[in-house]
Amino acid sequence: MTVVPAQQTGGGGGSSGLYDVLELVLDRGLVIDAFVRVSLVGIEILKIDVRVVVASVDTYLRFAEACNRLDLEAGPRKNPGLPDLVGEMTESGARGKSKGALSGAAETISDAFKQARDERDEGEAQPKPRARKATASRRKEEQE
Amino acid sequence: MSTYVYGITASSHPSLPSAVGGVGDPPSPIRVLKEGGLAALVSDAPEGLRPKRRELLAHSNVLAEVGAGGCVLPMRFGSLAPDDDTVTGVLAERAEHYKERLAALDGKVEYNIKASHAEEAVLHRVLSENPEIRAITEANRQAGGGTYEERLRLGEMVVAAVKAQEAEDATDVQHTLEPAADAVSVGPDSSGWLANVSFLVDREGVETFLTAVEQLRKGHPHLDLRVNGPLPPYSFVDPGPAEPAGTMTGVASPETAESVEE
Repeated sequence: MTVVPAQQTGGGGGSSGLYDVLELVLDRGLVIDAFVRVSLVGIEILKIDVRVVVASVDTYLRFAEACNRLDLEAGPRKNPGLPDLVGEMTESGARGKSKGALSGAAETISDAFKQARDERDEGEAQPKPRARKATASRRKEEQE
Repeated sequence: MSTYVYGITASSHPSLPSAVGGVGDPPSPIRVLKEGGLAALVSDAPEGLRPKRRELLAHSNVLAEVGAGGCVLPMRFGSLAPDDDTVTGVLAERAEHYKERLAALDGKVEYNIKASHAEEAVLHRVLSENPEIRAITEANRQAGGGTYEERLRLGEMVVAAVKAQEAEDATDVQHTLEPAADAVSVGPDSSGWLANVSFLVDREGVETFLTAVEQLRKGHPHLDLRVNGPLPPYSFVDPGPAEPAGTMTGVASPETAESVEE
């Protein structure tokens, strides 16, 4: 996949994702009530890497493990950065979910929307397990 | 056939219409509908338009090209009018409002900044700044990882420290860049960043702004900063300051997540 956005996009370590570029197009901009909007239901093309730290036993244990693995003697240094491409981002996000200290989760935007609503409705902070599964299976389709 | 609307600009805009193709496959040619002093950038809407990657990029690219030549008010992706007349009708009806916005945003561009933590680097920071956490980590390690309770206790402390760092960094991101911008709009914080903030920057001040970004980056090596711009002012099309200076609502926290769907 090669996407060259018209704007300059750069990040720490040169990383950026397609989602960074397009989130604004989807979420912001003028909305005029005399026009209808294309349905965003089923949008499955963009991935985000959820890196919000959530307080839970699961997270505590993963962080403890991450500290355990951390090379304390090495000075603080920058990570190589997130992968550039959405496909890679998805991969690393899905793996990070189970292995990383930060609660990495690759999700579709619709998942994120749904999750945000669910969380607000239920007052629950943890991502839904079924969303992760759905993401994993959906990921295959998109990479084709 | 319905009409896809990309954005609204002044009819005197120097580079109309866009040479970049619009949504659809093959890309629909961009047309310009003029009314009063305003112009709408439109194309025919393809049947069954879906929010696919290619379509989103087409929308974004048309606006980027037109926005590079002068101020354009970008529509959110996927705005469809039943026909061209409806579009010119809207331009006529709300001419004053759009002209005011175009004047207010003239010569300005948007930069979107997203920040997240580089995991290993932020853990290093937390450990180096917190002797107690460091001591427990060492003790657990020597005990072969520690008991379940010990690991839980360590993890809880680390999470609290990382969350505090997230909040601090979110504030730092906004406060460092704010002085170099004309306006600030804090984006939805449900999407996995500790900060997602758009800045309205005068074209003349872009260099100053980017210098501030570099300073922020140097001072916060544990942050992944993603800079997206210059963009048409997606986050500033609605009147009024989106966020008064000094407030910070961009601290990532799912409990306060807002749905970005309308």
